[in-house]
Amino acid sequence: MTSAERNVPVYCYQCVAGPDLLNVKTLDGVATEVEPNFSAAAIHPAAGKICVKAYGLIQKTYNPARVLTPMKRTNPNKGRVHDPGFVPITWDEALDMVADKLNRARARGLTDEAGYPRLAVSFGGGGTARSYMGTFPAFLGAWGPIDQSFGSGQGVKCYHSEHLYGEFWHRAFTVCPDTPLTDYVLSFGANTEASGGVTGVWRHAEARARGLERVQFEPHLSITGACSAEWVPIKPKTDAAFLFAMLHVMLHETPRQNLDLAFLGRRTGSPYLVGPQGYFLRQESSGKPLIWDTKQDAAVPFDSPDTEPALDGEFTVDAVETGADGQIWRHQGIGAQTAFSRLVAHVAPYTPDWAEAVCEIGPGTVRRITSAYLAHARVGATIDIGGATLPHRPVAISLGKTVTNGWGGYECCWARTLLACLIGGLEVPGGTLGTAVRLNRPATTRQASVTRGPDGFMDFPLNPTDRDNWQAVPKIRNAHGSLVPLSAHSPWSAALGPSHLAWMFLERTPDNWPEVTSPDVWFVYRTNPSISFWDTPTISERIAEFPFVVAFAYTLDETNYMADVLLPECTDLESTQLIRIGGTKYTEQFWDHEGFAIRQPVVAPRGECRDFTDIATELATRTGILSAYNQAINAGGAGLPLAGENYDHRLDPDRAHAGDAIWDAVCRAATGELTGGTESEGLDWFKRHGHRSRPISRLRWYLYPEILRQDIRFEMPYQERLRRIGAELANRLHEQDIHWWDRQLDEYQALPEYRDFPGLWEGAVVAAGATPEDFPFWLLTTRSMQHSWGANASLQIVDEVAGNIKGYRGVVMNADKAAALGIGDGDMIEVRSTLRATKGKAVLRQGIRPDTVLMAGQFDHWVTPFSKDKGGPSMNPLTPMSLELTDATGSAADLVRVAIRRLDQAPEPGS
Amino acid sequence: MTRYVMVADLRRCVGCQTCTAACKGANATPPGVQWRQVLDMEVGTFPDVRRVFVPVGCMHCGEPPCMEVCPTTATGQRDDGLVTIDYDLCIGCGYCAVACPYQARHISHRAAFAYGDQAMAPEVARFDEARVAVATKCTFCVDRVDKAKENGLVPGVDQEVTPVCVNSCIAGALHFGDRDDPDSAVSSLLAENATFRMHEDLGTDPGFHYVWDSE
Repeated sequence: MTSAERNVPVYCYQCVAGPDLLNVKTLDGVATEVEPNFSAAAIHPAAGKICVKAYGLIQKTYNPARVLTPMKRTNPNKGRVHDPGFVPITWDEALDMVADKLNRARARGLTDEAGYPRLAVSFGGGGTARSYMGTFPAFLGAWGPIDQSFGSGQGVKCYHSEHLYGEFWHRAFTVCPDTPLTDYVLSFGANTEASGGVTGVWRHAEARARGLERVQFEPHLSITGACSAEWVPIKPKTDAAFLFAMLHVMLHETPRQNLDLAFLGRRTGSPYLVGPQGYFLRQESSGKPLIWDTKQDAAVPFDSPDTEPALDGEFTVDAVETGADGQIWRHQGIGAQTAFSRLVAHVAPYTPDWAEAVCEIGPGTVRRITSAYLAHARVGATIDIGGATLPHRPVAISLGKTVTNGWGGYECCWARTLLACLIGGLEVPGGTLGTAVRLNRPATTRQASVTRGPDGFMDFPLNPTDRDNWQAVPKIRNAHGSLVPLSAHSPWSAALGPSHLAWMFLERTPDNWPEVTSPDVWFVYRTNPSISFWDTPTISERIAEFPFVVAFAYTLDETNYMADVLLPECTDLESTQLIRIGGTKYTEQFWDHEGFAIRQPVVAPRGECRDFTDIATELATRTGILSAYNQAINAGGAGLPLAGENYDHRLDPDRAHAGDAIWDAVCRAATGELTGGTESEGLDWFKRHGHRSRPISRLRWYLYPEILRQDIRFEMPYQERLRRIGAELANRLHEQDIHWWDRQLDEYQALPEYRDFPGLWEGAVVAAGATPEDFPFWLLTTRSMQHSWGANASLQIVDEVAGNIKGYRGVVMNADKAAALGIGDGDMIEVRSTLRATKGKAVLRQGIRPDTVLMAGQFDHWVTPFSKDKGGPSMNPLTPMSLELTDATGSAADLVRVAIRRLDQAPEPGS
Repeated sequence: MTRYVMVADLRRCVGCQTCTAACKGANATPPGVQWRQVLDMEVGTFPDVRRVFVPVGCMHCGEPPCMEVCPTTATGQRDDGLVTIDYDLCIGCGYCAVACPYQARHISHRAAFAYGDQAMAPEVARFDEARVAVATKCTFCVDRVDKAKENGLVPGVDQEVTPVCVNSCIAGALHFGDRDDPDSAVSSLLAENATFRMHEDLGTDPGFHYVWDSE
């Protein structure tokens, strides 16, 4: 390396499966190459490797289409047909414009007449934008109420049911196999090799090499299907039927002793007695749920010492049931079944033959795979982890997007979690694990967020549904606090509400609901809902109605086309930030270390781009909230509190601080946290070394030891609590004469029933005034690992390498089906839903069901430079936002019924 | 003797194209030129279908057809097995590109950049006029490999002297090393697994092996 060459350590966190640690080589001040930072190989779960997207960062920096100066709109008309007429302005002018709008909003009150925050923000990338926005979260924290309702993909394109129910049942915002120790994985649409990041790919490759067998259930042969031992081409949205049939086989066709009966009896609510109203039978004096103790031959509270709980059976007891809103039923000599007995009866109809017909898969598949699942479970086996002996259950079930959101998501998540419980495989080595907490607090570790509730299950911060505390007037526009008790009320909750409702209600507020208004000011960063949401032309229209939009802009795009001000921030390789690394977070991110990593300027900012931290400080100063902003930084707004035991690096709250001074304090606090305050390395140290960490016990990967320590049970199988809050929510809504959420209330079942989930989408076609037979195909999407979430649709290198994946920027369909329709490979075809049509090149493959077509990624750009000239269809314009297809969590699925025709053919009647 | 070879474990490859991108970055290849790429292939008919990802590039053949047809002796072969191109001798006739059964050779007849005619700063910094209008291909990162001797390092083991595609591979699918060294990792891989070489029947003795199953 010559004196003109440098290697600069930074991180890449463009998708949730990061961060990756890398070095960027510079030559005479120009960034030239990216390579893994192998100094992190010893601490990183994937030997320090980095994702394909990181290799696009140099082009991302030098992209000639970047916005390099602040701009303001000169055309007051907004919309796709109106050229915004952006003209360059100075930073002073731009910041004054933004501050003026913010100050006016503040002067009028932080919330508007309808009660909604006047300031709204939307960030992309499942929270990863935070790793690039410096101290801007501290600005938002200092501001006051802010609306994060307007989704850019969350809710409609995430693992939404998994997020909410997963955290409820086992502190699992995301769920993952314990890949290094598992032997058999059933993956229902989880596309780990495309979405699991470097750690997902690495860990699964290592596991396959040692013999891991994975079965992929998916309507098309995805990247992950390609890397699996078997592909089961299941019909879309029937995954729950397969999982329910597995439950049937395990509970009706398997000797009971093959299950983990001790786990079920001691670590789940299986022995709890259920009364005729469908609620747990409780001891009236204590309110505690009852179990039947076979030692005493009597009903006793679940936490009584020295009991032998009955798992199966019907017993006669005196007890009370507590329903919604405190309603109590007192019973004398009532017949009571255990929750487990109710479960056994509940799954009786879900036979393998039934499921195979529903899923349209080969006969014998359910029994064969269930048998393999049981055989691999090794019930009774143990393993030593970090000095502790834990159960070892090397089987796991993964669920992917579209499976875990929209109708059927609850049923799939419930069945998956229950299947793990039946063999004692939840939160134990080799089994099914949660990875992160977002809704529970504290979020430092999953273990720290666990407290035992009154019924022996994990407590959960449900949004209140009782008469006195229910949020009758929503605090934000997606109304998550009112409609979705499971969304809780952490800083993440707003973004995990029914994000499409905010967009839908702007157009038409439903009956008896506070009118939904546009925010006075909307900040948008690292997201492009005009492309990435559903019914995207309508989204663009709604955005165009927003009175003042501030976009932190990289290039022009379809969303900032409606902006009033563009603020060019320094991108990935031009700015400074310190983030946490390690621990356990998001899917396959299981580390044996935790610590911090730096992102620093590799090269000088291009043009007039500014570091986000400096922009935040300027806005705080100009809006008169500098002191609160600095105090927010001191409290953790830059990623960690600046003071702790034996260290204090807090900033003077009453003056503005330079970005480097802020990050120096953050670095010193990080070092203090890692060393108990004995060391205090600053920004310069981190710039030289890139990262710093300390080892953690692998026991942190598993929740089971904490469950044992607090003597907690997993809330399985019977969902008494959900049944109750659903009934209470129904009461609250009906008291307001609100009935448009009734369909969603049906989801609150103690033991979910299988419904004709595909039929719901066919019903939506009918509701749109069309005939299902005219829309005979399912349209799905799949992840482009090369693109996902990196704001890199305008990067030539990313486009070029992604082009090696079949189907990229095309429409994948079954070759034989295409032949029957007279469609050849490369033919332009029209894909039409009841909403509108798009077109693309047919890519003919064998690895897709004949009734399914596939569009990878999210393209359809009409402003974003480079991508707009490359073309490529997207399912987003074709997919309606629909209340009827919205589940109780406020999510819907990436799925739509479509018609196909070759473009030189005349349209069929009705299509 | 030394014979450097690449081994791709098809059980591990996920087709992510990280190696493709890393190669493009390290070797500053122009748009559309991929010295390393991963094919996305499908065999069978629905529903009995397999999809497989296959890394390809110059196979650094023991009997390279490209060298045989080169009219200027620009294409050469080193003692360690690496097939080379002397850009000063190459006239860009394309015979080699036609002769190569692996479609591994590329000729850019004019300078090309990611975003049209205007080169970005990194493209300016790394532009090499000598690579215009001549045949180019994967070099097995010969510059890195050649640093091994002077530094006492081992290609395929030490990252500094290992091809960037191997360093970048996030699935641990790509391996590089000396096939003639019985103790090398690639020799172990070849000894312990079922492998094949692409178009081996053509007598090219390719230096790129594919692992597809354990023996």
